[in-house]
Amino acid sequence: MAHFARTFAAASALSAALSLGAQAETPTLPWTPSGQITMMIGFQAGGGADSLARVLSDALSATYGWTVVPENIAGRGGAAMAEALKKEPADGLTIGFTVSQSLAYDPQIAMIPTYGLEDFDFLSSVTGSQVGIVARADRGWKTLGDVIEAARAGQKISFAAMTQQLSDGTYVIGKHNGVAFTSVNVQGGRGGVNAVMAQDVDIAWAGGTQASSVSSGDLVNLASGEATPLIMSPDAPLLSQYDVPYDFGAKFLLIAPAGLPEEVKTSLEQAVAGLLNDPDSALHTLTVRNFSGPEVVQGAALRAAMQQRYDQATKLIDDAAE
Amino acid sequence: MDPLHYVLAGVLAFFQGPTAFTIFGLGISSAVLMVIAGFLTGLVGGATPGLSGAFLMAVSLPILLQVFGFTPDALLPVMGFLVGVMKGATVGGAVPAILFQTPGTPDAMMTTLDGYPMSRRGQSGKALRVAHFASVTGDTFSDLVLFTCAPFLAVLVEHYLGFTEKAALIILSLSFIAAVVGSSPMKGLMAAFLGLFIASIASGQDSYPRLSMHTEILREGIPLSTAILGVLILGEVLAAFEEMFRARHNARPISEAPPRSNDNGLSLRERWRLMPYISVSAVIGTIVGALPGIGSTLAATLGYVAGHRMHKGKVPFGKGAPEGVAATEAANSSVSGANLIPVLSLGIPGNVGAVFLILAADSIGGFNPGPGVFRFSLSEVNPQLITAFGLFTAMMFANILNWIVGGQLMRACGIMARVPKQILLPMVLLLTLTAIYVQDPRIDSFVFAFAFALLGYLMRKLMIPTLPLVISLILAGNLENAVRQAFSVSGADPFFLFRSPLSVAFLVAAVLVVVLVSRRRDGDRRKSAAPATRAAAE
Repeated sequence: MAHFARTFAAASALSAALSLGAQAETPTLPWTPSGQITMMIGFQAGGGADSLARVLSDALSATYGWTVVPENIAGRGGAAMAEALKKEPADGLTIGFTVSQSLAYDPQIAMIPTYGLEDFDFLSSVTGSQVGIVARADRGWKTLGDVIEAARAGQKISFAAMTQQLSDGTYVIGKHNGVAFTSVNVQGGRGGVNAVMAQDVDIAWAGGTQASSVSSGDLVNLASGEATPLIMSPDAPLLSQYDVPYDFGAKFLLIAPAGLPEEVKTSLEQAVAGLLNDPDSALHTLTVRNFSGPEVVQGAALRAAMQQRYDQATKLIDDAAE
Repeated sequence: MDPLHYVLAGVLAFFQGPTAFTIFGLGISSAVLMVIAGFLTGLVGGATPGLSGAFLMAVSLPILLQVFGFTPDALLPVMGFLVGVMKGATVGGAVPAILFQTPGTPDAMMTTLDGYPMSRRGQSGKALRVAHFASVTGDTFSDLVLFTCAPFLAVLVEHYLGFTEKAALIILSLSFIAAVVGSSPMKGLMAAFLGLFIASIASGQDSYPRLSMHTEILREGIPLSTAILGVLILGEVLAAFEEMFRARHNARPISEAPPRSNDNGLSLRERWRLMPYISVSAVIGTIVGALPGIGSTLAATLGYVAGHRMHKGKVPFGKGAPEGVAATEAANSSVSGANLIPVLSLGIPGNVGAVFLILAADSIGGFNPGPGVFRFSLSEVNPQLITAFGLFTAMMFANILNWIVGGQLMRACGIMARVPKQILLPMVLLLTLTAIYVQDPRIDSFVFAFAFALLGYLMRKLMIPTLPLVISLILAGNLENAVRQAFSVSGADPFFLFRSPLSVAFLVAAVLVVVLVSRRRDGDRRKSAAPATRAAAE
């Protein structure tokens, strides 16, 4: 037993030494937090997005000497976190990690909307999803067109979606192509991929979790749900080819309660940009491996992008309601 | 590469992977170290009421990713740690279940039924030995099945279970639990339905929190772990406080710590006598584990029920029968190995622990749980298969560790059973409240905790079993999802649950279990009432 205790102690000492050695010198920023920064995470602990947020908070602590404490406030697709964050003072000591859809789409379908875009300051986008429509490779379909053909020929196609927005997408794709899919709601980032792998559904939306199965040849991306081609399957057609003019991609963002003082905002923006632009940082590596790579959009450009997403969501909801 | 070379390469990848440090020129691989660290963390965490393996894994995964980075070299150390936690927590979870009637992990709930009465008789040492022996045996068996059957079994099982069958199977498991636990199946069903109702507050797919009646406190739903800890632990603490109060009121001495029994060992012959229970439970646990989406709590329940059926000994189940502890522990421990069958071959987890293994693989890359893992390609090397065998080696290594030191570590906690109630109860209360606050740090947590403590207390007073409530709280989300998905996939067919023969069979079994158990209980009651009536008439 004592032997195990010793080896374990040695291992922890070693890992501590490694992480100390990896620390770079601290860049200077116009603002220093007066205490601990709480990073509210709008996702369940342990998911892909949660890991991303935790790596970000650890990197902020390690690089800038701040104390950033992650706190998961999961529930209702990020709405629980947004509501909690909105109530916090705008002093930079509480920031939130969320996904664009939670601010641009979800409030528009809420029975009683509890927050809007104007309630937040947008600090920085971090990275984006790689939304695709996937099927098992052994089904023989190469593109979404093949599936639409099969549906037109009378085959019943079940289509899994993880969110209400993607369910709207399922309906709109069918509507614009003269077919009706059987829409199935699944849970979690891997929900769609799991359902397709298990042959519980025919095709599914996937937000990036399909990457490994696509590269191993088990799944194929039938179409890209993003505005641009997918990194893992550049040949997969865009949805615009099927008369669907919407971008179903999501961006991961760092936000704060509205009314942040200018130097606080600048410091937080610079801090995040510094980490994302460093190709050796763990954050950079993670965004490249599991997401769309680092995407640093900040300030007025980010607010405009969010407004554009909001307006597009309005159109999608109207389209799906007709 | 032929299959044997794949196995060998996997074993070597585990023991000779990147080294953490060297002792006398011998490199110690970081994967080996991490399995040890994970096992110890899991054991201590599992033994702490309120901390679960899933919680430990959720907290440690981001730290591990930070330390080991995102190269394929990180796969075995990170997954090794998680496997260690999973195994440690399963064994550790039995300790508070036996000593305090406080399951450290949800799957140890059934262990309380016999483990705690044994503890009260002063046989906590024996109960812990039984739990450890059953747990490690079940676990090792399950791992062996995983290694030999994984590729074939997974494809078969998944072929027969769609959304509909999963929904029907969860209904069957709920009705099992409601019928078997407690004095009356109807009370059990009431508890189960209450659990489903509570779990449906503010959950579901609406963006509006349903059933929250526009209140702030219910907006985020009922915190699951707080509810479970409240009903199970705090409710029991309240009941125990009442008992202490009454004892004092009647000027009787406060009930002392349990007597120390001399029967705390576990001889070879006793172990041999437990083997039938352990074997049956290990097989049940392994089968349940291989079904995607169904967890170890169900396995523990089924193992316990099977053991109950087989049992003919003088100490009945539920009153402190070592066979009860063995049946439960063997079943819940044998889930973890078999659980990796659907995880590795289809990427679908059967319990929470497996979810984190998938997440680790996803975040690191280079290992994609799916049919590609088990492709024995001869012309070129399939690195995923080597990683899979490396993972199997890590699991076996954790088992060996468990055989050697697990038992001693568990019993080291046995000393806590001798603490008198006046000291123990406030400690459990404090520990539980701390655990509740750590998991959900807001003052509302205490409101929920005390509300559920009161509910647990009332249920004990009304002789309604708390277990069906707790288990339906856990399964409610899975059930709702499975039902919704089965309904959508059927294209809104109102008879969607009755379209597949397998799901009809599960549903019929669900009804039969309740009916048969009710009848038998009625029969028992009539039999015991008849002599009394006769005596009264005479």
